[in-house]
Amino acid sequence: MLTKFETKSNRVKGLSFHSKRPWILASLHSGVIQLWDYRMGTLIDRFEEHDGPVRGVNFHKSQPLFVSGGDDYKIKVWNYKLHRCLFTLLGHLDYIRTVQFHHESPWIVSASDDQTIRIWNWQSRTCISVLTGHNHYVMCALFHPKEDLVVSASLDQTVRVWDIGVLRKKSVSPADDILRLGQMNTDFFGGVDAVVKYVLEGHDRGVNWASFHPTLPLIVSGADDRQIKIWRMNDSKAWEVDTLRGHMNNVSSVLFHSRQDIIVSNSEDKSIRVWDATKRTALQTFRREHDRFWILCCHPEMNLLAAGHDSGMIVFKLERERPAFSVSNNSLYYVKDRFLQLYEYSTQKDTQIIPIRRPGSATLNQGPKTLSYSPTENAVLICSDVDGGSYELYIIPKDSFNKGDTVHEAKRGVGGSAVFVARNRFAVLEKSTNQVLVKNLKNEIVKKSALPIVTDAIFYAGTGNLLCKAEDRVIIFDLQQRMILGDLQASFVRYVVWSSDMETVALLSKHSIIIADKRLVHRCTLHETIRVKSGSWDDNGVFIYTTLTHIKYCLPNGDCGIIKTVDVPVYITKISGNNIFCLDRDGKNRSIVIDATEYLFKLSLLKKRYDHVMSMIRNSELCGQAMIAYLQQKGFPEVALHFVKDERTRFNLALESGNIQIAVASAKEIDEKDHWYKLGVEALRQGNSGIVEYAYQRTKNFERLSFLYLITGNLDKLSKMMKIAEVKNDVMGQFHNALYLGDVKERVKILENAGHLPLAYVTAKTHGLNDIAEGLADKLERNVPVLPSGRSHSLLIPPTPVLCGGDWPLLRVMKGIFEGGLDSVGRDAPEEYEDAADADWGEDLDIVDVENIQNGDVSMVSENDEAHEENEEGGWDLEDLELPVDVETPRATTARSSVFVAPTPGMPVSQIWVQKSSLAGEHAAAGNFDTAMRLLNRQLGIKNFKPLKSFFLDLHTGSHTHLPTFPSSPIISLAIERGWSESASPNVRNPPALVFSFSQLEDKLKAGYKATTAGKFTEALRVFMSILHTIPLIVVETRREVDEVKELVIIVKEYVLGLQMELKRREVKDDPVRQLELAAYFTHCNLQLPHLRLALVNAMSLCFKAGNLITASNFARRLLEANPAEAHAQKARSVIQAAERNMRDAIQLNYDFRNPFVVCGATYVSIYRGQKDVLCPYCGSHFVVSQEGEICAVCNLSVVGSDASGLLCSPAQIR
Amino acid sequence: MSEEDAIERDCLIYRSYIALGSYQLVIHEIDSSAATPLQAVKLLALYLLSADNKETVISSIREWLSDAAIGNNLILRLIAGIIFMHEQDYNEVLKYTNAGGTMELNALNVQVFLKMHRSDYAEKQLRVMQQIDEDHTLTQLATAWLNLAVGGSKIQEAYLIFQDFSEKYQMTSLILNGKAVCCMHMGNFDEAESFLLEALNKDAKDPETLANLVVCCLHLGKPSSRFLSQLKLSHPEHMLVKRVSAAEESFDRAVQTV
Repeated sequence: MLTKFETKSNRVKGLSFHSKRPWILASLHSGVIQLWDYRMGTLIDRFEEHDGPVRGVNFHKSQPLFVSGGDDYKIKVWNYKLHRCLFTLLGHLDYIRTVQFHHESPWIVSASDDQTIRIWNWQSRTCISVLTGHNHYVMCALFHPKEDLVVSASLDQTVRVWDIGVLRKKSVSPADDILRLGQMNTDFFGGVDAVVKYVLEGHDRGVNWASFHPTLPLIVSGADDRQIKIWRMNDSKAWEVDTLRGHMNNVSSVLFHSRQDIIVSNSEDKSIRVWDATKRTALQTFRREHDRFWILCCHPEMNLLAAGHDSGMIVFKLERERPAFSVSNNSLYYVKDRFLQLYEYSTQKDTQIIPIRRPGSATLNQGPKTLSYSPTENAVLICSDVDGGSYELYIIPKDSFNKGDTVHEAKRGVGGSAVFVARNRFAVLEKSTNQVLVKNLKNEIVKKSALPIVTDAIFYAGTGNLLCKAEDRVIIFDLQQRMILGDLQASFVRYVVWSSDMETVALLSKHSIIIADKRLVHRCTLHETIRVKSGSWDDNGVFIYTTLTHIKYCLPNGDCGIIKTVDVPVYITKISGNNIFCLDRDGKNRSIVIDATEYLFKLSLLKKRYDHVMSMIRNSELCGQAMIAYLQQKGFPEVALHFVKDERTRFNLALESGNIQIAVASAKEIDEKDHWYKLGVEALRQGNSGIVEYAYQRTKNFERLSFLYLITGNLDKLSKMMKIAEVKNDVMGQFHNALYLGDVKERVKILENAGHLPLAYVTAKTHGLNDIAEGLADKLERNVPVLPSGRSHSLLIPPTPVLCGGDWPLLRVMKGIFEGGLDSVGRDAPEEYEDAADADWGEDLDIVDVENIQNGDVSMVSENDEAHEENEEGGWDLEDLELPVDVETPRATTARSSVFVAPTPGMPVSQIWVQKSSLAGEHAAAGNFDTAMRLLNRQLGIKNFKPLKSFFLDLHTGSHTHLPTFPSSPIISLAIERGWSESASPNVRNPPALVFSFSQLEDKLKAGYKATTAGKFTEALRVFMSILHTIPLIVVETRREVDEVKELVIIVKEYVLGLQMELKRREVKDDPVRQLELAAYFTHCNLQLPHLRLALVNAMSLCFKAGNLITASNFARRLLEANPAEAHAQKARSVIQAAERNMRDAIQLNYDFRNPFVVCGATYVSIYRGQKDVLCPYCGSHFVVSQEGEICAVCNLSVVGSDASGLLCSPAQIR
Repeated sequence: MSEEDAIERDCLIYRSYIALGSYQLVIHEIDSSAATPLQAVKLLALYLLSADNKETVISSIREWLSDAAIGNNLILRLIAGIIFMHEQDYNEVLKYTNAGGTMELNALNVQVFLKMHRSDYAEKQLRVMQQIDEDHTLTQLATAWLNLAVGGSKIQEAYLIFQDFSEKYQMTSLILNGKAVCCMHMGNFDEAESFLLEALNKDAKDPETLANLVVCCLHLGKPSSRFLSQLKLSHPEHMLVKRVSAAEESFDRAVQTV
C-alpha cells in the first residue's frame, strides 16, 4: 500500500472523491464534513450543519455540488463553491446511512434505518420514489454505474437489486414528479416505480455493504458474518458465486477496483484486505493498530482508494504506476505490461522487444521497479520487489527482435537493487550483509565489496562507480579502489538523474531536488510542496523536472520556475530542444512541446551570455514585472533597463545599475525634486560633478551646490553663488560662501549688514583689517569685545582640490564581469578533484595473494598438456607439430625456475600471410620482399624493382600497428588484417590490409586527369606513373575488380605514353617534323574525350601552321566529331575550309592516319598493322622489335618481350 | 607505512620516472644501500639509459637472480623479465616470470606469450589473472592485448575495454593508442586518425603515437613521412624505425638476388 495522504480526525463514516480535482470529502461521526486537497495535504473547507454523525456523502460528477445524509434524518445538498447548503431533503424517518448522486439523471438515492430506500429529484427537490421491502435497517444503497439498477444491503441479511427503469420513463419533467407525489402515497405499498428484481440471500448476519462491478454483471457484498460474497446476475436471476473468508470482524465496506481485477474490502477488524477477483484468493492485508475501518471509496478516474477509520482516513494506492525505464542515447527502454519496449526518439517508433516474466499476481506491487540497460551488450536488468527485492537479467538478441510470446530465459537473482556499473558488469546490493556483488553477464559473482555505509539502494554513477543511498545521505563509491569519492547529506533520495556528460547529478526525493556535481559537491537544493516525480537534463545544463502537476525547470544556480502544468503525472525521459519526451502512467510515450524562452533567457543571464540575452530581448516577448523583478533581484538592473518603458522604473533601474546617462534622461522626463535629489546622490557617488551640479541646480539646493563648488575648487561659480545668495537675501548662504571663498571683507560686510557688529569687529580685527575694525569699533561705541591674546591666527583658505572640475574616472567594470570572472571560479573546482583522483590511481596494483599464485602456477603447468592438444585442433597453427619434448615431464612437483620450459614461439601472422598467399602485395606487406619480387617477375616480367621500393616499404610499414603494453617493456606489434567484420571469428587469420586500395587509385586517376586538363603534364605523368607502379602490388576482392584493374593498366599506360610523347615533343622544338609526328601520335592515344579534344586542337594548329593542311583538316574533322567547344569548332571548320582550298602537305610525316598503327613506347615511331612488334608483359605497350629485352620505357618495370603469366591481384583469380 | 610498503611505493615511483624517460634521476636517487627491489629498478634505468650498459646490467641481474636470498624477489623478477624482453630472449624471460606472483608478472607473461605468437598460452595466463581479479586494470589491459592479438570479433571487445578505460580514467596516450589500434584493425582508419591526433596533442613525442600515425596515414593515403622522420629523430631505436631500415636493407638485398 502506498499511502498518499492521511488525516487525523473524528471517526470517518463517509468518503467521496472529486472526479476531476484532487479533493476528497470526509464526513465525520462528529457531524462535520471536511473537504481536503489530498495532493497538497490541506483542509480546504468544513461544513457543519448536520446534527449528529454524517454517514453518507457524495460529490456530484459535474456540478459543484455534493450531498450528505446524517443521523438528523436530513439529506443536505451543498454547493462547495458557495460554501453553503443549498437545501435539505426531508422524508426519512431514521438515520440516513448512504447518499449518492445518479451519474446522469438529477437523482439522489438514500438508504435509511427506516427500512426504506428513497430516490430524490434534487432539481425539483422532491422524493420521487420510496423503495420498500427491506425489513431492517438499510445500510447501503447504490446506483448501478450504467444501468437502471440499484443495489441495497440491509441488516435483514439480504442484498436486493431494484429495477428503476420505470422511474426513468415516468420522470421526464419535474412537473411530473409533483403530480406523482400524491400518487406516491397510494403506491406506498406495492408501488410500481421501482420493483425488487432480485433478493440475494446467503449472508448469515446483517449485510453492511453491497456494490456493483463497474462493467460486469457482478455484485460484491460484505456482512456482519465476516464474509464477503460475490454474486452474479443475468436477465432473469441472480446467484451466489463465491465467498471470501478472512476478515475477523464485521465487514464494513467492499468494492471492485475500477482498474484492476481485484476486490478491496475493509472491516471492523482494523484491516483492509485485497482479493483477487478471478481466483478469489486473498492477496494482501493491511492492518492498523487501533482503528476499525468503516468506509471505503474508489476514485472514479484514477488509481486511488480512500478508507475511513476510527481516527481519520487514508488516501492510498495499491500499486506503483511509474513505468520502469532507462534512456540510452537516442532510445528509451521501458516496461509495459509484460513486454520490454523500445522507443526511438528520432523516429518516435515504439517496438516490442522481448516478453518478460509476468509480474507475480500472488502479491501486489511486484512489477518492475527499475531498469538498467547496457547498450554495448544489449542487456537489460529489471529490478522488482519480488522476494523482497530481486532482479532479472535479459540479453536482447541482436539480430531480430523476438516478438513471439515465449518468455525469454532470464537470469535471476536476489538483491535490493541491481544496476550496470560497466558495460558487462552489474552491481547487486545485498542488503543483509550490506555488500555489493559485482557480477558478469553470466550472473556469476566477480567481486564482492562491503559498503562503507548502510545502503538501501544503489544507482549508477559512472563506469565502475556506484551511488549508494542511505537514509540520510548518499555517497559515490569507487568499486575498484573501494573508496568514497563523494559524500552528501540528502535524506530519502528516490531517483538519481545524471546529466549526459556525467558531470552533474540531480537527486530526487519526495519533496526536494538536490543538484550536485560528479563528486557530490552540493550545488543547490530545491523544495517542492507537491511531490517530485521525474526529471531530466537538457543540453544546456538546465534540469527539467515534473511534479504531480507541473513541468518545471531548475537552473544551475538553483533558480526554478514553472514551464507548464500537466493534467496527469508524467515521467520525463528525455529532453531535446523544445520537446520533452515522457512516459505517462499507462506506459505511453508522449512528447510535450514547451516554451523554453524563459529559462533559456535566465540561463544566458547566468552564464553571462549577454549577446544571447540581448537577442532574446529583441526577438521575444519577455516583458513583465516578474522578469524585471527577477533581473533586479539577480543583480542585472542594467539588463532590465532594456525592457522597461515606464520612466520611474527606468530611473530606479538606471540608478541601481549606475547608468547616469539614462537616469538623467529619465529624471528630465519625470522632473520631480525627489528624483533629481536621488540622481544627485548617485552622481556624487560616481564623482560626476557635472551631473551633480545639474541635479542641484534643478532642485535649487544652493547649499549643496556651494559646497560642491567649494570641493571642486570652482571659485568663480562660488562667488556667483554668493551673489545669488545676496540677491535672495539669504544671509547664512552668503556668509557660508564668503567663508568658503576666504573673503574676509565680504564676511565682515555681511556680519555688519546683518547687525552682528561685535562679530564683524572680531572678524575684522582678527584678520588684521584694522581700518574696518576701527570703523566698526566706532559703530559699537568702543564697546568692543576683547580678543583672546597669545593665540596666533591665520586665515583659513579652502585647500586646493585635488581634482578641480571634470568627472572622476570610472572603471568600466561591467564588461569584465560579463566576460569571464565568475566562470573561471566555477571551473577551477572540478579540476582539483581530477588531480586528487589521479594521485590515488595505481595503488590497487599490489594485490599479492599467495594462495592464488601457487594455485595459478600449478594449474597453469598442468594445463600445458591440454593446451597442446587444443592447438592441434586449432587449425591454423600449422607448425605446431614439433611439440616441445619437455611438456611430458611432470613439473608440478619440481621447483619452479629450473625446470620450466618455455613454449616454442608461434608463427607470426606475417608468415601465415606468406604461406597462404601468392599475391605480390601481400608478400611485400609481410616483409618477404624476395618472394614478392619473384612473384612479380613471374607474373609481370618485372625486372626493374627500383621504382617500386617506396611502395614495398610502405606496404610493409603499414602492415602492423603498435600497441603500447607493459610500461618500460617493448611494444607489441600487431598485424592488420583485411576484411574485418563484427562476426569474424578470432584466431582465424585473414590476409593483410594493404595500404594501397583500388579506390585510392581511382582517386589518383582523377587527379591525373585533372592535371592533364590543366596542362601540368609532368605532374600528370608522375601521378599516372605512380598508379602504374602501384598496380602490381594491389589486391582486390572480386573478379570484376580484377578486370577493372586490368582496364586501369591500359588506360594509364595510354596516358603515360601520350604524356611522354608530349613532353618529348616539347624537347624537340628544333625538329618540326618530329614535333608534328609526336603531336599526331598523341591524338592516337586512347584519351578521355576532353583530353583528346585538346590533343587534336594542338595537333591541328601545329599542322596548320606548318602548312600540312591535309593532316590538319583530318585533325579538324576528328575534332568536330569529338563535340568540341564552339570556339574550337569554329577554328576547326575554318581549317577544313582552308584545307579544301589548298589540299597539300608541306612536310612529309611518318604519319598515315588512314592506316591503323600503334606507337612504339620507347622510340615513339608508328608501328603500322602488319609490322612486327613486341609487347611489355605488364602494361602491354607496343615496341619495335629492337626494344626486346630492354626495360619497358612506359612502365619502367618490366622487360619488354619477356614471358609472364599475367597480373595476379586477387585471391579470386587463384581460387 | 611498513618498510615493505615504502619500498613498494618507491619502486612504483621510480618506475614511473623510468616510464617518463627520467633515467638519470632514478640512477642518482637510488644509492647502493637501497633495498634489492630498488636496485633492480635502478638496473632497469641503467639498461634503458644506454646500450653500453647492457652487458654489465645483464651480468649483474643474472648474478642477483642466481642468489638464493634475493633471487625470488618479485620486483627483481619483473625487472629481469622486462630486460630480457628487450633482449628478445623470451625463454629467459619466462624462466623468471612464468611462476607469476603479482598481477604485473602475470601481465608480463601474457605479453611475452603474445610476442612469441602463442596466444593459447597467453589465454591461459590471462585466465589465471581473471581468477585472481577479473576487474583488475591489468587483467582488463591484458585481455585487450590478447583480444587484439587473436583478432576477429574480439577486436570489438578490446575496443570496449579501452572505451571503458577512457570513461573511467583520464585520456592517456596508452588508452588513445589502444583505441586507435583497435580502430585500425577494424578497418576504421579515419576514427583511428582522430584518436591518434588527440594523443599527439597530449604528447607530441610519444613514440607509439607517431608510429601508429605513420601506419594510419599510409592506409589513408596521406603523407606519413613527417611522422616517420620525427620518430626517427626522437626514437631511433623504435620498432618501426628498425622495421623500416631492415626492410630497406632486405629490399636492396632482394633486388640483388632477383
